[in-house]
Amino acid sequence: MAVLALAGCASDPAPNEQMRLTEQALEQARAVGATVDDVPEMKLAEDKFKRAQGNMNDQSFKNARMRSEQAELDARLAEAKVLTLKSEEQLTLLNTRITRLRKQVGDAQ
Amino acid sequence: MSLRSKALGGLIVAGCASLYGCAGQRSETALQQAGAEFQTVKEDSNVLRIAPKDVIRAGESLARADRLSSYWGSGSDVVHYAYLSQRYSEIAREHTNQVLNEERAAKLELERQRLQLALRESKLASVQQQGKWLEEQILALTTAQTDRGLVMTLGDMLFDTGEAELKSSANRVVLKIVQFLQLNPKRVVRIEGYTDSTGGKQENLKLSKARAQSVADVLMDLGIDDKRIQVEGYGDEYPVDANATERGRAQNRRVEIVFSDEQGQLGAAR
Repeated sequence: MAVLALAGCASDPAPNEQMRLTEQALEQARAVGATVDDVPEMKLAEDKFKRAQGNMNDQSFKNARMRSEQAELDARLAEAKVLTLKSEEQLTLLNTRITRLRKQVGDAQ
Repeated sequence: MSLRSKALGGLIVAGCASLYGCAGQRSETALQQAGAEFQTVKEDSNVLRIAPKDVIRAGESLARADRLSSYWGSGSDVVHYAYLSQRYSEIAREHTNQVLNEERAAKLELERQRLQLALRESKLASVQQQGKWLEEQILALTTAQTDRGLVMTLGDMLFDTGEAELKSSANRVVLKIVQFLQLNPKRVVRIEGYTDSTGGKQENLKLSKARAQSVADVLMDLGIDDKRIQVEGYGDEYPVDANATERGRAQNRRVEIVFSDEQGQLGAAR
């Protein structure tokens, strides 16, 4: 069993493309303002990506791929959450403005 | 299927590398959670409309996790693909919420613009009303003299004796005139100074002109274009009362503001 598992590990190719994708997803999430402190998924993504990088150094490619894949989706979820939050803030702002306008229009008439 | 994987998991626990963690229970739970999550997004028509690709990926990852769960020793792979499936479902949901919010925002933006327009219109109406009110006030302060047009008289008490400087007690009426001229941009004025007959002709002429000029200066300071203002000094000419009495003399010491009609036609100067 252990031999099989080791064989499985050894036969996995280095997930270079996945590592690149994950790095890109992390950058994109950072670009919209996702931070480790504010978005828990971002912390997961950063941690997993770091561990995946360690796995790459140890040539533990299967672990590297799995962690990197998870990190990519964690980062993408972090990004999506930030964007949703921003769209909510935009809605709140619009609603505030509309309420104020309604009141002003009401006062003026 | 699950019974089998559980049973197998129990059998091979000792032989498993900790890396692969063949926890049958754990992978089963992960699979169920991912399945439930996938169910909610794939039944949501908004999610299907907005994030179909993520829903498909969630389904694919889930199917993979499900397939793997029938092989023993694949616990960590099952958990992994279940995790990916769950993430895809969550991403689909977040993306949908974002787009729905943006669609709502677009509608609200239209509403905001409509309200802004309504507000601007009502403000405009109120300015027009205010203009009418101001016009009435100005008209109340003027007397229509058919040959000269509308004439407003600023009395003697707005100046100190012998001085040309307009006193601050004139501020209110001056501000009204300024507002009136701003609301009626075509109208022009002629400001005419008059004195009583006390003192020399030349001196009176000078003082009457200086007083008219000081009223004009204030109007200009408050933003009225000097091209709209003519200034005349008539000294003790054109008295409105007899100079024999103190009351009559006070009546004669005055500054008159002659307003043009709405087209800017001013009656001829005296």
